[in-house]
Amino acid sequence: MARTKGYPEPLEKKLRDTRLYEEDTNPQFTKTVEKISMTIPHMCYQCGTCTASCPSAPRSSYRIRKFVRRALLGLEEEALTDPDLWLCTTCYSCTDRCPRDIAPTDVIMAMRNLAAKRDIVPVNFLKTVQAIYTTGHGVPNNDVNRAARKKLGLNPEPPTTHGFPKYVKGIQYILDYFGLKQRADKIIKEREG
Amino acid sequence: MAEKKTRKEPAAKKDTKKPVSKATPAPAATSPDKELGKGARIGVYICHCGTNIAGSVDILAVQEYAKTLPNVAHVDNYQYMCSTPGQKKIEEGIKEHKLTGIVVAACSPRLHEPTFRTATKTGGLNPFRFEMANIREQGSWVHMHDREGATAKAKDAIRIAVAKAALLQDLVPKSVPVTKAALVVGAGVAGMQAALDLANAGIKTYLVEKSPTIGGRMSQLDKTFPTLDCSQCILTPKMVDVGRNPNIELMTYSEIEEVEGYIGNFDVTIRKKARGVLTPAEAEARGIVGGGCNGCGDCDTVCPVIKPNPFEMGMKPRKAIYIYHPQVVPLIYTVDFDSCVKCGLCVEACGEKKAIDLEMKDEFVKVKVGTAILALGYDIFPIEKKDEWGYQKFENVVTSLEFERLICASGPTGGHLVRPSDGKTPKKVAFLLCAGSRDNTGVGKPYCSRFCCMYSLKHAHQIIEKIPGCQPYIFYMDIRSFGKMYEEFYYRIQDEGAKFIRGRVSNILEDPETKNLYVMADDTLLDRPMKLEVDMVVLAAAVQPSADTDRTRKLFGVSCSLDGWLLEAHPKLNPCGTTTAGVFLAGVCQGPKDIPDTVASAEGAASAASIPIHMGEVELEPYFAQCIEEKCAGCGMCVNLCPYQALSLVEKEGRKVMQVTEAKCKGCGTCGGFCPGGAIWMQHFATPQIVAQIDAFLLGGEQ
Ligand SMILES: Cc1cc2nc3c(=O)[nH]c(=O)nc-3n(C[C@H](O)[C@H](O)[C@H](O)COP(=O)(O)OP(=O)(O)OC[C@H]3O[C@@H](n4cnc5c(N)ncnc54)[C@H](O)[C@@H]3O)c2cc1C
Ligand code: SF4
Ligand code: SF4
Ligand code: SF4
Ligand code: SF4
Repeated sequence: MARTKGYPEPLEKKLRDTRLYEEDTNPQFTKTVEKISMTIPHMCYQCGTCTASCPSAPRSSYRIRKFVRRALLGLEEEALTDPDLWLCTTCYSCTDRCPRDIAPTDVIMAMRNLAAKRDIVPVNFLKTVQAIYTTGHGVPNNDVNRAARKKLGLNPEPPTTHGFPKYVKGIQYILDYFGLKQRADKIIKEREG
Repeated sequence: MAEKKTRKEPAAKKDTKKPVSKATPAPAATSPDKELGKGARIGVYICHCGTNIAGSVDILAVQEYAKTLPNVAHVDNYQYMCSTPGQKKIEEGIKEHKLTGIVVAACSPRLHEPTFRTATKTGGLNPFRFEMANIREQGSWVHMHDREGATAKAKDAIRIAVAKAALLQDLVPKSVPVTKAALVVGAGVAGMQAALDLANAGIKTYLVEKSPTIGGRMSQLDKTFPTLDCSQCILTPKMVDVGRNPNIELMTYSEIEEVEGYIGNFDVTIRKKARGVLTPAEAEARGIVGGGCNGCGDCDTVCPVIKPNPFEMGMKPRKAIYIYHPQVVPLIYTVDFDSCVKCGLCVEACGEKKAIDLEMKDEFVKVKVGTAILALGYDIFPIEKKDEWGYQKFENVVTSLEFERLICASGPTGGHLVRPSDGKTPKKVAFLLCAGSRDNTGVGKPYCSRFCCMYSLKHAHQIIEKIPGCQPYIFYMDIRSFGKMYEEFYYRIQDEGAKFIRGRVSNILEDPETKNLYVMADDTLLDRPMKLEVDMVVLAAAVQPSADTDRTRKLFGVSCSLDGWLLEAHPKLNPCGTTTAGVFLAGVCQGPKDIPDTVASAEGAASAASIPIHMGEVELEPYFAQCIEEKCAGCGMCVNLCPYQALSLVEKEGRKVMQVTEAKCKGCGTCGGFCPGGAIWMQHFATPQIVAQIDAFLLGGEQ
């Protein structure tokens, strides 16, 4: 362990070369993101309206403006390997307000697609896939919910795949068709053994 | 083109496009000049324009092709035809090859037609013996990556131009006298400056202003950047000069109703809106000696109707009979007939002066002017459309123009900046730059409004100076401090303590209790979102063309760009001119400008507008219609069709024939295209000339 001078992070990490080099940029990445997202991150003038609108930003290190900048510069590795990519709530506030009429939300969605193609997806997202596969719900019903529903005079199971479990098959068919479940299983196994 | 068959060069036939049929001979009888095209010898000059044309057009191939065209007597090419040696080639070619017409294949005629006409004239031909083939804007530039296509198109363009050039006639431009008077529309600082310059140059100038006083937006400002002199103090002397100058006829509360005519001779109808109050002169004309409004304000005191004063951005009341502020020019009250209840109290209060006439009607005045300047200024963009900033929803969000009135000693609060919600002095004020400007969402304006950065710096200075301990926060994307002493002003305001935050504000929230505001932004330099509580927010709202601009510009035939600002003749080389000869632009109506640029543009427009007047006459392009009397049946149908009232029927040798008032004819061709008997000859665009061009295009010109 290197000297930390009392800082929590190791010193060599602090001192590593963080310059932006030409090799870090991939113009093709900008084009691919624009094609998938059908929006124009190359027109961003870095005003910050998106980050200021973002409900995730004040609670995390996620900065939508930075991702739009990465799209503009073609910083593929940096964008796709940053776990913050998965902190967008897709609320579309940034898209509503961007003065350059860019849809930053769709930039994020495009990057997530590209990251997923390379199996770079956080495990919790993959577990959601598994939950959908088995129950038809990303967040399945639970006892607390059931009790609350009963109290409100509702059927404890909502009229979804919970109420009609036979339709889970349909959802499974779709997920199988795209190989999503198998993919999620594989990656989780690799990561968690 | 019967004539064409007699051409000297039995041209080589290699154009595969040429169909079998021959060009139908033009009905030569329609020509008033039976000799039209006889013995034509055309010189063709092909320009490289450096690599602009030569880069994508095979000049030598085009030259070889041109030699095969009928009537072509000489072909040459040159690097820059517009240069002196290029023009010399034309002049010498005319003499050496006994040319009767010139074709230059180069750029757009809008650029160099005058240049080559002059060269044609210097060479000894009538300047209208010149025809231009545009092989750059419509050729090499649009087919930059298609050398073969661009070359083929250049050949087509030259063939067509040669066909017309062979049939061109000598024409003599008409000179018309210029009325020694000018019109200026809009009396903001631009219109005032232009009118003063014209008047001081000895030109009678009509200055028409739609509101009751002159001064425009500048009279609403408190101080002016970067020198911080008091706006009214530097403006009122000019206003007074305008009011007093014997060469200026000031018409306030007036609008342009109708415009007829052309450069040198505009007939303008002005609507003098019913003001309800007589000036001393008007009173005297009605036989009321010593009467008329003297600005005493006795009427104002008694009037029971209260309305918001637009000059104070609605933050101060006025009566139904009002002046905007004490320094108005002219100092004449105005009745707002939309809110007046005709109680008559003011008439009584006015007494013997008999200045008030509650039955007054709009009047129409006709004036004749040689040139006109539009100085229509701007309005503030309705910033409530960007609802994320809460203007008109949250009381303490104001626009910069409202701020100007609130900080101005003669404003509604006597210069004490207060919060609209509770009248308290703010301690923290946020300024939002680019509010509605540089916005591509379709809601705001895509352009930079150009003076908001600088006036927001000024506003920050004003609160630091006036309110001890008050902190200005400037939310910006870029500070555009481009003018003389502007960057230095930026330095000074930062030094005085203004906090600059580089981030555009995403939205504003209001605390319903305190009416304080939460400004949400991204400090992009720190890469951290922020939420700042302030007492007041000032929106540096975008500007847009003033309300009546579109109607007014159409009366003068002036175009506008996509964003509504009036279109100059050339953005760099003719920023004050328009595409309507004799009509010029001054100030912000052409695009956002601060006061120094506005005044400079006004002086430019005044200078340009005075030239035709000082010359005393202008040449009109001789593109008017002519009547071929032996063919005219005197039906008179064309008379009603002409949009410019240029035609009439007259008695000649016992029968009726049409007659053209050449100065009124704009050469639009409506009559010429219509006349069932083919009796109208459109000079320079005559039927045989146009038919020859079409034939040359469709049939090829080499047969
Ligand atoms: C908040 C704010 C602060 C500013 N501060 C500064 C500053 O400190 N320094 C600086 O250099 N610049 C400043 N400016 C810019 C300045 O206001 C303009 O440069 C200047 O007013 C432009 O003058 P103008 O004559 O072109 O237009 P205007 O002042 O708008 O005048 C146009 C005139 O034409 C009249 N009019 C319009 N349409 C018609 C019509 N159809 N018929 C007849 N009359 C018509 C109008 O009533 C008006 O009187 C500021 C602008 C704003 C909004
Ligand atoms: S709001 Fe739009 S222009 Fe502004 S930083 Fe975000 S993406 Fe870029
Ligand atoms: S859509 Fe995503 S990036 Fe945009 S504001 Fe919402 S959470 Fe933030
Ligand atoms: S007549 Fe009209 S302007 Fe005069 S006092 Fe009455 S309301 Fe006011
Ligand atoms: S002048 Fe400044 S504040 Fe105004 S639109 Fe331009 S950049 Fe924005």
